This record gives sequence, structure tokens and C-alpha cells, in this order.
Amino acid sequence: MRELTYLEAVREAMSQEMRENDDVFILGEDIGVYGGAFGVTRGMIEEFGPERIRNTPISEAAISGAAVGAALTGMRPILELQFSDFITIAMDNMVNQAAKIRYMYGGKGKVPMVLRTPAGSGTGAAAQHSQSLEAWMAHVPGLKVVQPSTAYDAKGLLKAAIDDDNPVIFYEHKLCYRTKSDVPEEPYSIPLGKADVKRQGTDVTIVATAIMVHKSLEAAAELEKQGISVEVIDPRTLVPLDEETIIESVKKTSRLVVVHEAVKRGGFGGEIASMIAESEAFDYLDAPIKRLGGKSVPIPYNPELEKSAVPGVEDIIAAVKETVNRQ
Amino acid sequence: MAKEIFMPKLSSTMEVGTLLQWFKNEGDPVAVGDPLFEIMTDKINIEVEAYEEGVLLKQYYQEDDEVPINHVVGYIGNPDEQVPDTPPGEAGSGTVEKEASPELAESIQVEPIDEAGETEEKSQTTEKLRATPAARRVAKENNVSLADVEGTGPKGRVHQADVEAVGTSKTPAATPLAKKVAAAEKVDLQTLTGTGSGGKIYRDDVEKAKRPAEVPVAAAGKRVKMEGIRKVVADRMLKSKTTAPHVTLTSDIDMHAVVGMRKQLLAPIEEQTGYRVSYTEIILKAAAAALKRHPNINVSLEGNEIVYHEEINIGLAVAVDNGLFVPVIKNANQKGLAAITKDCKTAGKAARENKLKPDQMTGGTFTISNLGMYAIDAFTPVINQPESAILGIGRINEKPVGVNGAIELRPMMTVSLSFDHRVIDGAPAAAYLTDFKKMLEHPFELLV
Repeated sequence: MRELTYLEAVREAMSQEMRENDDVFILGEDIGVYGGAFGVTRGMIEEFGPERIRNTPISEAAISGAAVGAALTGMRPILELQFSDFITIAMDNMVNQAAKIRYMYGGKGKVPMVLRTPAGSGTGAAAQHSQSLEAWMAHVPGLKVVQPSTAYDAKGLLKAAIDDDNPVIFYEHKLCYRTKSDVPEEPYSIPLGKADVKRQGTDVTIVATAIMVHKSLEAAAELEKQGISVEVIDPRTLVPLDEETIIESVKKTSRLVVVHEAVKRGGFGGEIASMIAESEAFDYLDAPIKRLGGKSVPIPYNPELEKSAVPGVEDIIAAVKETVNRQ
Repeated sequence: MAKEIFMPKLSSTMEVGTLLQWFKNEGDPVAVGDPLFEIMTDKINIEVEAYEEGVLLKQYYQEDDEVPINHVVGYIGNPDEQVPDTPPGEAGSGTVEKEASPELAESIQVEPIDEAGETEEKSQTTEKLRATPAARRVAKENNVSLADVEGTGPKGRVHQADVEAVGTSKTPAATPLAKKVAAAEKVDLQTLTGTGSGGKIYRDDVEKAKRPAEVPVAAAGKRVKMEGIRKVVADRMLKSKTTAPHVTLTSDIDMHAVVGMRKQLLAPIEEQTGYRVSYTEIILKAAAAALKRHPNINVSLEGNEIVYHEEINIGLAVAVDNGLFVPVIKNANQKGLAAITKDCKTAGKAARENKLKPDQMTGGTFTISNLGMYAIDAFTPVINQPESAILGIGRINEKPVGVNGAIELRPMMTVSLSFDHRVIDGAPAAAYLTDFKKMLEHPFELLV
């Protein structure tokens, strides 16, 4: 099978959906000739034209407002925000409008839109362009939250997100953009709410999201050399969350380490840890649940400090060893 | 009255300071503001100045010693004052001013060690037992008192393995007869593994234990811990064999026509794909085509429901060092032989190089296990759950068979179909195998 980068997989998913369905269109800042802040929509305007690849003014409030309106009239907009940090400016439209309309009008209006946006640190983009705010969105009833880690997942999940009749926030980690995996050419859909076991193991379960999936797999490979067998689970979507896969895994391994890049305090890792503590897996826990997350600081500009503000492979290895009582 | 010198807390994260050097020796006069010693924290090096006037009476720590914050590093006072020989017990953080008061300093001098000893004892008796939920569950299931278990975790936390190491005091289930025999023969029921349901011990089990143990074939030898893929294969095979009632049907297939067809297809397929088509791929194609006609074989048991799969995804068991991988050829019935050849070859290679992706190994609905490259005629394959059937392929070997009243040597191949009798009955399995045989004996049907 051919390999695609994560970035190409996102683009291919959108192009295929747009060829398939005239209602799908993209709107965002500089997504036309320029191809978007990270080049995801590069070349798409040539095929689909400026009507369907719509450049917008620099106003996330306007972009999200237009998308909600378009979705209500039957279109299926994909809006691109240049950095996920700017979701704060789109917050009212996403949280107070998009998330609630279907509920408040008894299902008579629906909002099938996807907000795609690059998140995370690691590119030296400093504090206002490097945040991971997915837990905010996951907290709001009515919004679905997707965080793919591989090109294969990105393509399948984006199709599912576009096909979904509800607003979906689709977080693309900037460091994932260049990662590659096998991606089938034909369109395929990965259901929202289905976790993926990225690696099988027996001693400890790591639940990791986005770029932390790759770091956890690296840590797991190193830990295997030391005789510790690690299972790595990527939930892929925070909302809906595949609780069953995580619970079954923890019942098997008896230990859980949750890793995300977002600040640990109030992060989604706490949700996963609580979910396990409330579940039947509680009686199988053979160590305290460990959470790894970013430090409670704005992401620094200095590359070394930036690296140290979020969990690294060594941190994951240390956390796993502590959890299996093998310091 | 002598005054303590404390290790200062210089930042919110500081827990210990490293003493780098003393600027004064014991007995030296000290004025307020004189640098006393230099410390290193996790952030900075800094000189600590004296807040009191007098003589440096005591240095408790030397260079490079690490001292927790608010611990007493030494004393300043009058030259004739007495101070403890060892640093007084831990001073609580945030109580620096209080502890500097004369009364407290005195009490510390009088009985610092006793006090420390008492707190330690107290903490041992009042502290709750630490045990993980898993340890508590296993202890409860086996009637083990957690108090009897020594925890190996931090602060003596009891883990599941600690409980298991103590063993179980639970009396194993045994039939009354077994108990009687065990008592008469002085056999400890605890040492037995029952063969009954739920591990219940029968008389036979007790009597077996009485018999002299078999002499081990080889006392010495390499021992390798079963882990990784070996363990996965072991667990899954055991689960399959113990949960699914396996029935195996065998059939001899005349491969004469397939041998001929493969010869004709070798060149065109190699030209198209770069790979040589093997019997495996032709057999796989036939198995898929036959499954299309027999959807009741392409099923899984999920809980109480039989799932009839729409896709025909055929797994191909590939042996690797120390284990077995089963890459899946998706929608095998819809693919031509060239595509199947390419898929099988690349998947096999990925399996041997341990590079299979999870999605290449999942979604199978039926498995083929081919031992035809060995001198194997027939065998009983174990179902790769959650699938319900598996086809084992033996070698192609010339055998005398009756053809139109004469005995001829024909290239014969024996296949063995194991199926899960909970889900599939013998007649439909036999019908499937018969169709499969017919297809291979008239392989050009595969083209239509």
C-alpha cells in the first residue's frame, strides 16, 4: 500500500468528500492560493475553485458564525482555523450555538460542520500558537472531539467527521503532519468512538493521544527491552470515548498511565483516570493510576524549555517503571 | 541561649540544599550578616548569612551533604553553651520562628531522639494498611488476610503479586470421596490441581498425586520465559481449544488441474506483480470463492449472537521466530489471483519482518494454515477466534488413486477443516469442503 503523510491524508479525505458531495466546502484564512497556514489545502483551489475553497477575513468569529449558518441551511462546511489557540475567538459560536442548536430546536435544525485546526507544541510557535485545549471542547455537550495520531486514522476519521450530522472539532497535531503511514486510496471511514490498540502488551496500559501516541510507542519499544510489556491505546476520539477498550485493557494489565500533551491540571487524562476508577477495572488496579501532562506554564518559545514543558519519551518510561514498581 | 541555624527554603520547589562550604569553623565568632556557609539549590548557589551574634557552636553537616529545608544545620550561642551532638529531629516547615524560641530549643536538646522514635512507632501502628484494589480483590477471593502479606510496593503497599506469593489458604473444592481418599492417603489437597469444573478435585486427581512422579526427561536445559508473541499465541490457542468444540473434517483433493493451471499462470502473474503465484494463493482464492457460496461458514460467535460477515477476509497463518502471525487478505473473494498473490507475498514478508500493522491483522473471518511445504499430509488446525473455522493444508504428494477403474498416480492434497460446532454443524461444513474440493479439481471455475 502507498504511504501518505498525515497532512496529505487530511487533504485527500477532504478532496474525496468534496468530489462526492457538492454540499461540502472549506472556509478559512488564506486557505485558497496560499494553501493554509500549514499547506493542508494547497492545490485544492485549482480543482474546486474559490466558491468551495473560500478565503475569509481574519475573524475566527466570522468564520465559525458563517459555518454554523451554512450548516443550518444544509451545507456541510469544513472550517480551518490556522491555530487551535484561536478557537477562543470562535468560542461563542462553537459552544453557545453549534453545540446546542440541534438540541434546542428538537432536532429540526442540525449543524453538520467540522472545525479542523492544528494544535500542540514542538514547532517553536510560542505560547499563543502551541496550546492543546481539547479538554475545553470535550467538556461541552453537543461537540464531538477527534484527535488522530496517524495518517491512516486522520483520513478515516475526517471522513466520519464530515459525514456526521453534528459539529466535530478535529484536532491535527502539528508534529503529526509529517508522519507517514499506509493509507488506502479509496475513501474509508473510521467510526467516531472506536479506540485503536496501537500496540499489544500485558504489564501496563498507556492511553495516549495525538503526538503522545508516537512518544508512547517509542517508550514501549524501549521498555520491552527491559522486560516490561506495554499496551498502547489511542482513543482517537475523546467524544465519544471508547470506554470499553480502555477498561478491558486495564483489566488485562492492571495498570494505567495516561499521557497527553495538554496541561495535566484539568486535562482530559483526569477524565480517563476517573472513568477507570469508576469502572469494574477498579478492582483490577494494581498500582495508582499515573497521569502525565504538560506543565502548568504557557508553552515557552525557547526550544529546550518548550520540550521540557510537555511529556517526553524519558518521562513516559519513568512513569511506567514507577507504575510497575520497577524503579 | 543557643540559636539554631536552619537550612533555608529559597524557592517554592526547594526541598533540600547541598552544603558547599562553611565560611566559619566551630568556635569562630560570628556577627550578624557574616556569611556562614554556602548552599546549592536546584536553581542557584547562595551564601547564607548569620541572623544572630555569638560563636558558631556546632556544624552538623560537612561539605557536599544534602540537608532538607528547615533542618538544623548548626548552632550559634555563647561559647560555654551545650548543644546536642547530633542534629535535632526534623523541624516542621513553616515553624521556623517558633522553633527558634528558647523553650523549644531546650526541649529539643533534652530528648530529641526519643521523640523521633516515638513518632515513628506511632506512624506504624496507626497507619492504614496499603494495598492496591487488585491485591484486595485477590486476597478476598482467596481468604488471605492482607495483614499477613508483606508489601513490596512504596511504603509497604501490597500488590497482587505479593498476595499471590503468600499463597492461598482457601480450601480447594473437592468431592467428598476425594476428601476421604486424601485424608486416608495423607495427600494435601492444597497441592492438587483439580480436573473438574472450576478446578474441583476428584478421587482420580488425588490418586494420581499418590503415584510416583514421572522422572523428568531432562533435568537440566534452557528455560525461556514465555512472553511477547509466544505468550499471546499460547493464551489464544488455549482459549480457542477450550471454549470452542473443535470438529475436524478431512478431504483428499486431486490437484492435477491446479498444478497445470499454476504452470500456465506463473509467467503472466509474475510479469504483472513481480511475484510467483504459489499453491497457497490459488487455495486461498478457492476458499474465498467457496465461502461466498456458503455464508454460514463465514461467521463469528459474539456473545449470544452469530454474526454473518459480509466481507470475506482470509487470514493466512505465517510462522515467525517464536510465534505465529496471521495477516488478513481483505475481500479475498473480490480479488483476482494476481492481486491475491501480491497481497499474500507482501503480507507474508511484513509478518516475517515483524512489520505488520494492526489493521493488517484484524478483521479476519476465516483462516488458512498451510503446512504443505513440510512432509505433512493432514493435521487438526486450531480455530483463530473469533472466527469459526480454519482450513489446514497438507502437502501435494503423488498417490495411487482410482480413476475410471484404473489405478493412477495423481498429485493429491489432504485438507483439514476445523470448525466450531457451537456455530456450524457437520453437514454445512462438509458441504463447504465439498464445494472447495470441486473448485480445486475444476479450478477454471475460479475465473468465472
